[in-house]
Amino acid sequence: MWFTIKLAWRNLFRNKRRTFIAGTAIALGLASMMFTDAVMIGMKDVMIRSATGSFLGDAQIHRNEFRLTQEVEKTINNPDRITANLQKEEIVDRFTPRTLSFGMITSPANVSSVLFIGIDPETEKYLSQIDDVIREGNFFDEDNERDIVIGSKLADILEIGLGERVVITVSQAKSGDLSQEMFRVSGIYHFNIKEMDSGFALVKLAKAQEMLGIGSNVHEIAIKFRDMKVSLQEDNPFWTKYSTDDNEAVSWLTILPQMGPILGMFWISLLFMAIILFGIVAFGIINTLFMSLYERLFEFGVLRAVGTRSSGVRRLIIYEAGALAVLSCLMGIILGFIFIFIVTKTGIDYRGIEITGTTIRDILYPVFHIQQFIIYPVAVFVFTMLIGHYPAIVAGRMSISNALRKSL
Amino acid sequence: MANGNEYIIVTEKVKKNYEDDDIIVRAVRGIDLQIKSGEFTAIVGPSGSGKTTFLNIISGLDYPSDGKVWLNNKLLSEMSGKELSDFRRDHIGFIFQAYNLIPVLTTEENIEYIMLLQGLSKDERHRRVIEILEDVGMDGFERRFPPKLSGGQQQRVAIARAMVSQPELILADEPTANLDQTTGAELLDMMRELNRKTGMTFLFSTHDRMVMERADRVITLKDGLVVKDEWKSQN
Repeated sequence: MWFTIKLAWRNLFRNKRRTFIAGTAIALGLASMMFTDAVMIGMKDVMIRSATGSFLGDAQIHRNEFRLTQEVEKTINNPDRITANLQKEEIVDRFTPRTLSFGMITSPANVSSVLFIGIDPETEKYLSQIDDVIREGNFFDEDNERDIVIGSKLADILEIGLGERVVITVSQAKSGDLSQEMFRVSGIYHFNIKEMDSGFALVKLAKAQEMLGIGSNVHEIAIKFRDMKVSLQEDNPFWTKYSTDDNEAVSWLTILPQMGPILGMFWISLLFMAIILFGIVAFGIINTLFMSLYERLFEFGVLRAVGTRSSGVRRLIIYEAGALAVLSCLMGIILGFIFIFIVTKTGIDYRGIEITGTTIRDILYPVFHIQQFIIYPVAVFVFTMLIGHYPAIVAGRMSISNALRKSL
Repeated sequence: MANGNEYIIVTEKVKKNYEDDDIIVRAVRGIDLQIKSGEFTAIVGPSGSGKTTFLNIISGLDYPSDGKVWLNNKLLSEMSGKELSDFRRDHIGFIFQAYNLIPVLTTEENIEYIMLLQGLSKDERHRRVIEILEDVGMDGFERRFPPKLSGGQQQRVAIARAMVSQPELILADEPTANLDQTTGAELLDMMRELNRKTGMTFLFSTHDRMVMERADRVITLKDGLVVKDEWKSQN
């Protein structure tokens, strides 16, 4: 076997230029696969961060059916016990309580419907990025209970600016009575996400609770895990632990179900790309091996004549394919590493681009993963060996006398 | 057909037809031949007379359209492809016109290839390589690659490769065609000597007068038939 491997390896370098061209083509295919995989992981992370980091959080706790009905009465049961438990959770990094209700915001010039959100500014800034995108003013003053923070588009609709007054109207829990309060615009944010810039109005939690008549209760607790991956672990006991007392704990993927298919599409795209690249690689290998085979037809005839069985000739061709694969994979791994490494330093700036409702907020950096250096090279190697069977079978079946006649 | 042990090759009404676009070419038209063990025989004839085709058939490289071939008392048509490969490996040595050494293997590796197929040990292979290279006057060239050897040297290595497994039959297809006269004569004398020394049967397909001059027996083919079978001397 070693002799055949040695022979195959040396045969590979008989036509160095052809081997280099074929090897480079395969290596570029492999490097592209590795790079695309790294970009996809980076893109997935960026999209999840963009989806969860702007406001959503990695997970949320609500009263059952609140997400469906948005009824003001459906506040979380036993919120104090839940927050006390969350503080003890190792996997939880931060959390923040919120009230959520629909309301009307009125300015001297206009009126608009909004999602009226009560927040705790101190904890909220660790969950959402609203405080990071304040374009004018501040993310709430410490003492002023009547501060309101709105999005840039809503400010345009209402034709108001910083420091101007607006009136919020909401209906109270249980009674349904309307409650109205005047607020002063203390901050205007710009997310570049249409729904958030035009549809959110944020006030301090206590004021919102008072207006909604829900006491110290809240509608939502948004949670940020220490490791974002926890939010994708369906079997994590966290979900059942906090889905009690008629409450539900759900991950961002449940809240934004459209993200699942989008992330799935990344891998489908990768699969299609893999199929195309593997197709190119396959034709490259077949072409190289057949050229090599027909160039050395008489030699194969001689090998068969002196007693090499057809299986021996087949084995030699497959080993040559394997040698080509090893060489190509080494080149591909090096090229792939270089491509990924360079782009991890420069990044790809897709910021501001909206993909199915999620605006990319961070620079995309490809992510190195060990599987890129194992799975793809192994796949290319195995694939090359499999493809090598075609010319190998042709070589094994050739007529010895015809092969010997070819170069006479 | 029964055949005595003294014959290494026996053919009976061997025919070979090729079909090309409905045109049947009768390359070999019924050859009956017996070749004794230890003969130094030349098959001669003009181009297209069927020499190479006949050689391919008696070595099991090609199948006859009709007729039978016995090699070492074995009927070739009864053997499977795998058995034929093993039979050639163990019983037949080939020498080709264009030497056809594997260029990426050293002289030693080229020669030991067949012994590797036979499963001989490394020491045994090495011992035999050294011995046969001495016999063909190529000792000291073990590590050389074929492209670094002259045509005559390559053909010597090819002869060593054909003989190293100690086969009963050496088939040589135009072995001197690519060599100058002096080198060709030297090699033929060497093969004649090895024939006498080892008792191996040499069967040439050739146009070369030098081969005919050295052969014990000259069989002339024309249009796929034996037209002359001439013994020049007795072994």
